[in-house]
Amino acid sequence: MKRVIGLLSAASTSPAVTPIVIGLFFILYIVVAFFTDETLIALMELTRKSIILTTLLALIPLGCLCRMVQDIRRYLTLRRCRGGDVAAVATELFDETVELSPQSGFSALEGHLQALGYRTGQQSGVLSAWRGVSLLPAQLLFTAALGCFFTGVILTTTLRSSDRRMIIEGESMPTPGGGGGIVERISLSPSTGAILAKELTMEVGGASAGQRKELFGLYPPSLHGGAFVYPRYIGISLHVRFFSPEIQSGYENHYTLNTFPPGKEDSAVIPGTPYRVIFSIPQVESGTDRYIAYMTGKFPLQFKLLKGSEAIFTGSADVGSNFTKEGYRLELLDARRLVVTDFIRDYGVFFIWAAGILLIAGGCVWVPIRLFFPRQEMVLLVEAGQFRASSRAEGRSRAHAELFHETLDFAEGAATGGSER
Amino acid sequence: MIAVKLIPHLLAALCLLLVLLRCFASRRKSVLLTSVCGLSAGAFTVLLLRSMPVVSPYLLLKSLLGVGFLALWGVSVAVNYRKNAVALDKNEGGIVSSVAALAGTLLAAFAAGGIAIAKLSDTALATFPPVLLLLVVVIVAVIVGGGATFLEKQLSPRVTITPVGMVVAVVALLLFSASSILRLDLFSPLSMKVMKGVHDLVHQSMESVLIPDHVFVRPVVWKYIGFLFGKEVGFWGGMVIWFTPPVLIALAVSSRKLPSVGHIRQGAQRRKLLAGALREQRLQLLLPLFSLCVLAGAAYQSSFPTVEYWDPKPIPVVANEGGMIILPKKGDILLEDGKIHKYLFKQKEREARFFVLLTPDGQLTVDLDACAICKPDGYGQAEGSVICYYCKTLIPLDTVGKPGGCNPVPIPFTVKDDAVVIDALTLINTWGATVQATTRVKEGGK
Repeated sequence: MKRVIGLLSAASTSPAVTPIVIGLFFILYIVVAFFTDETLIALMELTRKSIILTTLLALIPLGCLCRMVQDIRRYLTLRRCRGGDVAAVATELFDETVELSPQSGFSALEGHLQALGYRTGQQSGVLSAWRGVSLLPAQLLFTAALGCFFTGVILTTTLRSSDRRMIIEGESMPTPGGGGGIVERISLSPSTGAILAKELTMEVGGASAGQRKELFGLYPPSLHGGAFVYPRYIGISLHVRFFSPEIQSGYENHYTLNTFPPGKEDSAVIPGTPYRVIFSIPQVESGTDRYIAYMTGKFPLQFKLLKGSEAIFTGSADVGSNFTKEGYRLELLDARRLVVTDFIRDYGVFFIWAAGILLIAGGCVWVPIRLFFPRQEMVLLVEAGQFRASSRAEGRSRAHAELFHETLDFAEGAATGGSER
Repeated sequence: MIAVKLIPHLLAALCLLLVLLRCFASRRKSVLLTSVCGLSAGAFTVLLLRSMPVVSPYLLLKSLLGVGFLALWGVSVAVNYRKNAVALDKNEGGIVSSVAALAGTLLAAFAAGGIAIAKLSDTALATFPPVLLLLVVVIVAVIVGGGATFLEKQLSPRVTITPVGMVVAVVALLLFSASSILRLDLFSPLSMKVMKGVHDLVHQSMESVLIPDHVFVRPVVWKYIGFLFGKEVGFWGGMVIWFTPPVLIALAVSSRKLPSVGHIRQGAQRRKLLAGALREQRLQLLLPLFSLCVLAGAAYQSSFPTVEYWDPKPIPVVANEGGMIILPKKGDILLEDGKIHKYLFKQKEREARFFVLLTPDGQLTVDLDACAICKPDGYGQAEGSVICYYCKTLIPLDTVGKPGGCNPVPIPFTVKDDAVVIDALTLINTWGATVQATTRVKEGGK
């Protein structure tokens, strides 16, 4: 039983877990690539449906957790070694362990180590020397980042749900659960940020009396009823009336058109007829901001009427006006701004954000310590008349090993009453 | 001419045998015999399969190379995790048994022989009577084996080759040899897959953390993000995957723990021991570094192939009053001669480039000179395939006309009165939609 637990513990804390799992997924990716061009999406779908693959992926955060526990235990054991706990001094904790002939005392050795730039401590037959700062915090941050990232990936892959809705000015907020307030205004304005060029704001009134007005922006996305409000594209909701020689009574409908940015075309089909109207917001002159027309909410529309593949006419008109030609009439009754929005339930996002922060924090800790103050330690002890010296370093290990060997030479020389090099 | 074409492949085979002989020095005779048999068997098999339309020898060899490259990756990762394990250095007994050594030798020599013979075109091979060809193959294999044995004897006994060093060198030499044959090259398809993989990964990552679409992001920021969707990322990503195994192996060798010298109380003796260990370490670095150079050569050959493509200048065409483009099957241009015939159709400021081709199964196909993935750099025709100039992907001729992946986008057409008839509006719209989509990909669009 003890052996099994030992094996399980070794497997769970092995640094090979992550590359093995990633390697297996990489091989699976290659296999999937033989069957589809949308390899990543297919692999994500496969992982979502397969408990085996999800469990396999879950081994990474689990392994990270076990490794963090192991690292902390290892660090505490090393601290106990330095504190004079002879039983805690284990060979596997150190890079090198050497046994020498018995020593009379540590006083000369302690002075030697201090002269080499080490801080020392001596307790109950154990002399410890150290310098630099431990990389443990950085190591924990990196491992936590890895664990968080893969936890986020698992949650996103298996539990993410997305519901696409149109948020239209003047209409109710189409939340998946229903009962959203009225969308009072959708505004797009220039941003002063370094990343985003535009600021999109959706002002939604309270759904019932006493409820506050809510504002939804771009990034970070706001939560509404437990779902992230993720604006994807913007466009217009157009109310049109169309007359043709064959349709004397006219045809009236609301269309949602993906016509943003200006110049982008989208078509409105008149059902049951060969007619199709292609709309676009005119391109503004070069040098001016092509988003201005849309931002003001007052924009003309360009259109092209097609009967099958034959173009009947092209023209442009302001919203609220109409256009008449050769027996055809197009009335642009109303146009409102709309935002195609995904309501996303995905708590993996928090973990992925956390992983990013932990990774940056880990890097900020690791770089200066590893470059300038790596931890270097020696533990020398006398146990049952035997002198044992151990050494470990988290950086510049060859230079530290050289000093360790010199210290042992010094100790041996002191014990035999001479100095031999 | 045939001999000149084969020189790089024979040199690669010679180096490969040299490495195998030194690695398995205690089994020199059996390794030599197996190598010669493997070289001949590889060449015979490819010759045989080329005459049978059912199984493609290229697929067999490419699969073998792919598995070899994956195995190299596995070895390089394992050796990093076990860099202090002495067993990985040993080539006697234990880790690499006699059977494994001979099986590995046979497989490597088989691949080397197959690749070398795959370099020769059917026309070149047809000049030899079959019996003479088989005889020549065996003679060449024996000469290569003899040459490798001679060179191995000249090598200093200090140069030892570990199994890990042997694996990296053998795979690198095989990849180098294959890189000059379009249908066996792994680097270009790898770059293409990396480009697509990175695109999907970045897209999915952005979706996962809910980053807004490019409409809302500063153009300069999007330009940097857009860089991740380009061909260059495919190339450099491919390079990283290509070079990582030998680099990992070199790192494992150089970061291997030096022998413990703490028990030695003479500084000079300690330093001598350490210097000896460092010298041995540096010698072990030679093969990974040599493999790096060989792989660099393979990547270069793959990126700048010496193959000449059939790539005619597009002929301008116009539509008739009914909006139809009519291309006679016979006349100045013979549409059914099995070659790509490119055309350019212009309508006001819009234009579309397309080609007509008779596929090996005797069907005419009309396709855009562009695919749905890459920038529309067009296609060239090589033996048995067309190549996408942008991503260097080879498309077998019998799949041209089928949509998907990097295949040219097919265009509907009819054959009337011995002429190919294409609807101009469909053509120009399909070109517009395809080019717009692929340009959005280039700009980082989602």
